[in-house]
Amino acid sequence: MPPLHELQRAFAAAMVEGKGLPATTSMRVGPVWRSLALYRRLIRNNYVQALTITYPMLRRLIGGRYFSVFARGYIKRYPSTSGDLFLYGQHFSSFLFSLDAPRMLVELARLEWACHEVSQAAEKPAFTLGWFEGLAVVDPACVKVHLQPTARLLRFSSPVHVVWQTLQPESVAVAEIGRPLPEEEAYLLLTRVEEKIRMAALAALDYRLLDAMADGRQVDEVERMAMEMDPQFDFARFIAALMEMNALAGVSVEEPL
Amino acid sequence: MTLHCPAPIPARAGIGLRSQHYREILEEPPPVAWMETHPENYFGEGGTALRTLERIRADYPLSFHGVGLSLGSTDPIDSTHLRKLKALFDRFQPTLVSEHLSWSSVDGRFLNDLLPLPYTEESLNLVCAKIDEIQTELQRPMLIENVTQYLTWPDSTIPEGEFIAEVVRRSGCGILLDLNNLYVNAVNFHLDPVQFLDAIPPEAVHEIHLAGFDRVGRWLVDTHGQAVYPEVWSLYQWVLYHFGPRPTLIEWDTNLPPLAELVEQASRANAMLGACYATSA
Repeated sequence: MPPLHELQRAFAAAMVEGKGLPATTSMRVGPVWRSLALYRRLIRNNYVQALTITYPMLRRLIGGRYFSVFARGYIKRYPSTSGDLFLYGQHFSSFLFSLDAPRMLVELARLEWACHEVSQAAEKPAFTLGWFEGLAVVDPACVKVHLQPTARLLRFSSPVHVVWQTLQPESVAVAEIGRPLPEEEAYLLLTRVEEKIRMAALAALDYRLLDAMADGRQVDEVERMAMEMDPQFDFARFIAALMEMNALAGVSVEEPL
Repeated sequence: MTLHCPAPIPARAGIGLRSQHYREILEEPPPVAWMETHPENYFGEGGTALRTLERIRADYPLSFHGVGLSLGSTDPIDSTHLRKLKALFDRFQPTLVSEHLSWSSVDGRFLNDLLPLPYTEESLNLVCAKIDEIQTELQRPMLIENVTQYLTWPDSTIPEGEFIAEVVRRSGCGILLDLNNLYVNAVNFHLDPVQFLDAIPPEAVHEIHLAGFDRVGRWLVDTHGQAVYPEVWSLYQWVLYHFGPRPTLIEWDTNLPPLAELVEQASRANAMLGACYATSA
């Protein structure tokens, strides 16, 4: 009998590449191919199931049959590298992109992976205005606002959130932050509020400001950016909307570079 | 290895915890003695699943039943996976923790299923070393589960029951006896399940699994997608008579029924456990 490592390699190759097993590993009961076919099927089902859990709206949009075809292709190209199937499926949108799949499908997959991440991300205590009050005497040029680890800022070239919202089995609200909202593309903020995913569509300016915050810019710099682009911009309302979305995790005081 | 064991789960029936039942369980906690879950489902750092598990843990003893450690793989144990398991273990303090006597990865590639091991001295040494590593990390004995196999390796030199008994003797771990797996293997390979049961040490069996299977072509397949079959209930009766009462789980993962049906299956197991107590009194 070959050493265990060789046997496991041969078995894995039989699963992945559809090969048989070397003669030295023939079966005791029944034809080998039948056992291998069953294992291939069971393994494939596990992956398709994992992808189905992560990408329910994509599956709903294209139907189970097409989803299964895409899933099988993905399984071949992206082997699992963990015993934790929650990590499987991270590259699904890239895979769809490589197939020249319609842009909407690629972006919906990217949005769903972000939802998947947000649903299990760590969360810090909710941000309150008390944080700012404690900083009344601090130079605003030293203050940074930090986003929740559950917050994701995403940019899409299509209004993918509308499709995502339409596909939901139950009515789901998508908040709006700022005006005007783009029609041909989408700037989205994902967060988690009371254990539920919250989604907000952002105006282009609001997206840029939030992106600057996420990038570690000081509050006064972000506010200055806002005023330069829109002198009427209500920065306090912007912060309040982010708090309502549970997008903020706290502030820190740091000397600017 | 001598390790500390927490208070045992009572020898009553429990059910597998599935997210589809969260709301119902929280609103009206079902009359079951304990719950079992796959720790991998809670490896995230936050979110509904973890929060719900916290609430359920307040009402029920928990058992962690892992599916991802790949005990029989020649690859080293995935340290990230083990670290996450340990963190979850410390947080929830499950009374039982178990894994499968199988492998699922080689050369860093995972196949994410419970694949069969050849029962040889090489496998025995490997599995015992892995169990030792896990038990040292968790500071707790673990249970290993006999798995369903759809092939047997021709050069296995040790019968499965004897292999498991030797793993127990060498590593100090316990056994999670899956009677559905045992039955499925017995039918698929024309084996006598009692031969297996005679080979394992009854005192090492700390948990029993009951589940349903499906027929796929010539195979019985362990799908956990049906109620427990009469033949498996009969095997359970045999085990209770010969081994005595043990914590028993109704496992149902696919084609999930309403919670009430799981509870009904657990009640049936409880009735048999009760009769077993009455007989032994």
